[in-house]
Amino acid sequence: MIKHHPKFELIQSYVNGELPASLSIGITLHAELCSVCQQKIAQLTEQVAERSFDELSNPLLNELSKLDFESDITDDDFFDSMIDDITDSNDIDTFAEVMPKQVIFKDKSYTLPSALNNISMGKAANIGKLSRARLQLDENEIHSNLLHINPGGGVPEHTHKGFELTVLLDGSFSDDRGEYHKGDFIMLDGSFTHNPISEKGCLCYTVANDALHFTQGINKLLNPIGSFIY
Amino acid sequence: MVAAQTKLPMQVSHVKSTHMTENTDHTQLCEWLKEVAENRCKISFTHLFKFFAPKIQRIARSKFPNEAQAHEVVQDTMSNVWRKAHLFDANKGAATTWVYTVMRNVTFDLLRKIKNNREDNLSDDIWPIAENAVTEDHSYEDHLENKQLLRVIEALPVTQQEVVKGFYLMEMSQEQLATHLNLPLGTIKSRLRLALVKMKVQLGEEHD
Ligand SMILES: [Zn+2]
Repeated sequence: MIKHHPKFELIQSYVNGELPASLSIGITLHAELCSVCQQKIAQLTEQVAERSFDELSNPLLNELSKLDFESDITDDDFFDSMIDDITDSNDIDTFAEVMPKQVIFKDKSYTLPSALNNISMGKAANIGKLSRARLQLDENEIHSNLLHINPGGGVPEHTHKGFELTVLLDGSFSDDRGEYHKGDFIMLDGSFTHNPISEKGCLCYTVANDALHFTQGINKLLNPIGSFIY
Repeated sequence: MVAAQTKLPMQVSHVKSTHMTENTDHTQLCEWLKEVAENRCKISFTHLFKFFAPKIQRIARSKFPNEAQAHEVVQDTMSNVWRKAHLFDANKGAATTWVYTVMRNVTFDLLRKIKNNREDNLSDDIWPIAENAVTEDHSYEDHLENKQLLRVIEALPVTQQEVVKGFYLMEMSQEQLATHLNLPLGTIKSRLRLALVKMKVQLGEEHD
């Protein structure tokens, strides 16, 4: 049962196309498993579309179109040639359906959701019960990974300065706030400290914009893991 | 305001009709899209273009610093409308919603190209243009086969889709379909045959 969903503002920016690819993908992964959020996204998209294209319900658009009147005359020629250009070809787009991607973490094989089909993935690196494969999205300080935790493994108690998003693709894990299941969308900000443990193992999609910082005694020695996971 | 007091409660059950305003002629837009999809009708496309292009241009101007990039958004969005019109399904939502999705995706890919120097065009994976509006799916694996099949069906021309969906998904007989769609039985048979050939090619490629 999914209990954690993206908050409204995030869904709104997602629909507007204003989020980085990494976070957009996170919401798509969640929504594929969550009919509640699917419904919200569909409704918001419809509203935004209506507002965008309706002159009368969009006074700004209306005003602009009056101001633009003169330049629109030159636009007409430009637009006419664009129409010819576009309709010149009779090709239609068909789907080149691709086989879903498989990943293997410690001899367990997973079928990846189609949202990840075209993202190149680095080789998995391992530390103890943790494995991570970097997703090559190239978004500067924002890093995205697939993180796999073997049964009985966990991430030592840590905090971070930025945000940390985890979408559970398979399995479950828990921290002091409770248990998380397949499909949960868990967004934490910098002020949070936690220590997730996965009894039966799990596969997560993670996004973070800063390295993790380990907070307790001996685990401080593990701070290299912080950069490993980030 | 008397009107406010007598206002009917909003429908929330059906996504499609909830927030429509009366200003845009949605039926007309759908018909033009259908004409483009089925008959490659240039006149209908010109109507769509005249309706959407200036608006897309203004929206794009607010997101991109220069005119050339705004033009690129118009060009790419409208050529996607021309090439993907057969993927639009009037039963799943308004034409404006569909064109918005196409425009949003083009804009997203172009912004990503400018900001992150990546031309991986991820938008159609993030927001599939021809996906089912709402699926009841709760796992990837169980319905994977079905979903793949559906996508292959969605990629067919609309006239063939109707027949394939009726025959396979609604389990109507060819005779029932002929009555339902008001077409000669021969037409149903030939559309089904054409569709199956296309689907076999697509599905065959996947399983290679
Ligand atoms: Zn949700």
